[in-house]
Amino acid sequence: MTQPQPLLEVEHLKKFFPIRGGVFGKKMGEVKAVDDVTFSIRKGETLGIVGESGCGKSTTGRAILRLEEPTSGKVRFEGRELTALKGEEMRKMRREMQMVFQDPFASLNPRKTAGEIIAEPLKVHGIGDARKRKEQMKELLQVVGLDSFHAGRYPHQFSGGQRQRIGIARALAVRPKLIVADEPVSALDVSIQSQVLNLMEDLQERFDLTYLFIAHDLSVVRHISDRVGVMYLGRMVELTDRDRLYENPLHPYTQALLSAVPVPDPEPEVRRERIILSGDVPSPSHPPKGCAFHTRCPHVMDICRDVRPEFKDHGDGHFAACHLLDP
Amino acid sequence: MVRPLLEISRFKMYFHTDKGVVKAVDDVDLTVNEGEVVGLVGESGCGKSVTSLSVMGLVPRPPGRVEGGSIRLADRELTHLKGREWRKIRGNVVSMIFQEPMTSLNPVFTIGDQIVEAIRQHRKLDKKAARRLAADSLQEVGISRKGILEEYPHQLSGGMRQRVMIAMAMVCRPKLLIADEPTTALDVTIQAQILDLMRRLNRETGTAILMITHDLGVVAEMCDRVVVMYAGQVVEEADVNTLFNQPRHPYTQGLLQSIPRLGQRAERLYSIPGNVPNPKQMPTGCRFAPRCEYAMNICRTEEPGLFAIGDGQNSRCWLHVDKKEEADRDPTTTTS
Repeated sequence: MTQPQPLLEVEHLKKFFPIRGGVFGKKMGEVKAVDDVTFSIRKGETLGIVGESGCGKSTTGRAILRLEEPTSGKVRFEGRELTALKGEEMRKMRREMQMVFQDPFASLNPRKTAGEIIAEPLKVHGIGDARKRKEQMKELLQVVGLDSFHAGRYPHQFSGGQRQRIGIARALAVRPKLIVADEPVSALDVSIQSQVLNLMEDLQERFDLTYLFIAHDLSVVRHISDRVGVMYLGRMVELTDRDRLYENPLHPYTQALLSAVPVPDPEPEVRRERIILSGDVPSPSHPPKGCAFHTRCPHVMDICRDVRPEFKDHGDGHFAACHLLDP
Repeated sequence: MVRPLLEISRFKMYFHTDKGVVKAVDDVDLTVNEGEVVGLVGESGCGKSVTSLSVMGLVPRPPGRVEGGSIRLADRELTHLKGREWRKIRGNVVSMIFQEPMTSLNPVFTIGDQIVEAIRQHRKLDKKAARRLAADSLQEVGISRKGILEEYPHQLSGGMRQRVMIAMAMVCRPKLLIADEPTTALDVTIQAQILDLMRRLNRETGTAILMITHDLGVVAEMCDRVVVMYAGQVVEEADVNTLFNQPRHPYTQGLLQSIPRLGQRAERLYSIPGNVPNPKQMPTGCRFAPRCEYAMNICRTEEPGLFAIGDGQNSRCWLHVDKKEEADRDPTTTTS
């Protein structure tokens, strides 16, 4: 297998949010939402990112599109450095990469019709004239499984699944290469969820899309992704091929996470050993020293409390950050 | 020996709005036996939450109105109860925990005050004894840290808040605990802790649990029996193994096929076509017919009853009728 050129490369990405307090809004500390994350996405693949709330997976997605300005680190898209781009250049760059948001209720303007919402990116980027844009908008509606009569309706007249289709059509309008989908199906019911997942897979094939798929549901991520990265407290702890991650997780956090997912089968063929972690995720404003997971890790050693483990390749592109894996 | 604790039969709760009547719960039968864990499954708007709120007497009336049927809990009819009578039942015989533990705790009172209030509502204990009992109940749900009674809800994490809610719900040893999506707002590793806790409490105290959820994984791990609802009605009911291995209603089958499984990967997910019907304009005949791939002519004109198809499995579908004689219909569960 040839290694295709990565479409997106993220190196040592960091995003810290300042905590301000006191009378003069002095900086009191910072929340390390994304703390030194490195990965790349190949053209045409789907990279899933999973993790629990507050692990920084959404901030990672937003920092890549510079919806949040990264604190430091590099993001390269087709070899071009994004963090160095100025306002207008970055705006043009966004034609290549679009986002689908979690909440189909909050991410659509309630005062615009579905048609206006979908045509807006075309207008913003000055693509076609009014007549042409209308044609394209109708075509996009059909592509995502809606009808052209839906164009005149307002968001509140649609169901959750239909709204998410509108969000996807809007993202597709400018023919992007990369779509960052932040929890695109978690607000939807099971039967609707599978419709949207199937749609996303069809569109990927049809338009040669690359996805960064962010979700907390491990089963959904496994279904749609080629490779999966696991985040914990702002850090990437493991990243590898989908099947290898689920069959042979190396990091104790990944192992616990996978064992905690309830399986929809009352008599599983293989009784899984369940690892129930004690305690809660520490606050990202005071992450533990050393390995961020050491406070809950069942295999914690002395070194874990002091030294942050390096995120490195343990063979065949199976990345993990854990001292247990060091010889 | 199986004794029914909660018996809901042919219960109807409609909402009368300016724009029409919403039949949120329409002819629902549901039984929870003593000590049993029953799952109530369905998608949003199927009536599972209204059913459980009706058992707690928490549906605002108006606009809600009981249009028929009964709810019996521990041999008491609940549908006629008034405000004061409800208070003797709630928290004492039946308790409820909700999806969002932050909004169900009062932010301006300490954890201790809130649990003590619940205790003193039902037990004649002085403040000191009630506080001791509150501390014990927190210990039981795995919170043993000192000073917890003096803390406020915002000082706790989501998982801890849900533990507090469970402690408060269990402190008077109710016979039935209704858990409405208790782990949906929690992370996977915290969800595992809470499910583990609920299983232990069920085993140790014998409290029956009615578990309302949309997560079939949670159902498979927690429940003895499952009731599936669709558009305000029960469409299938069976013990947990039967339901997962031999689902008989096309909706249940579709639901089970459309979830991605962690252990295996299908190339393409099954998906049920279409959307849930608008509750103000229910289709005539079977409510699932417009989305059902097996729909026959009769399905579009006549509403099927809940047919008993053996081994305690019931299914609301006309497909079962040609195999079973009409006489086989369970008269108590069939709508004519």
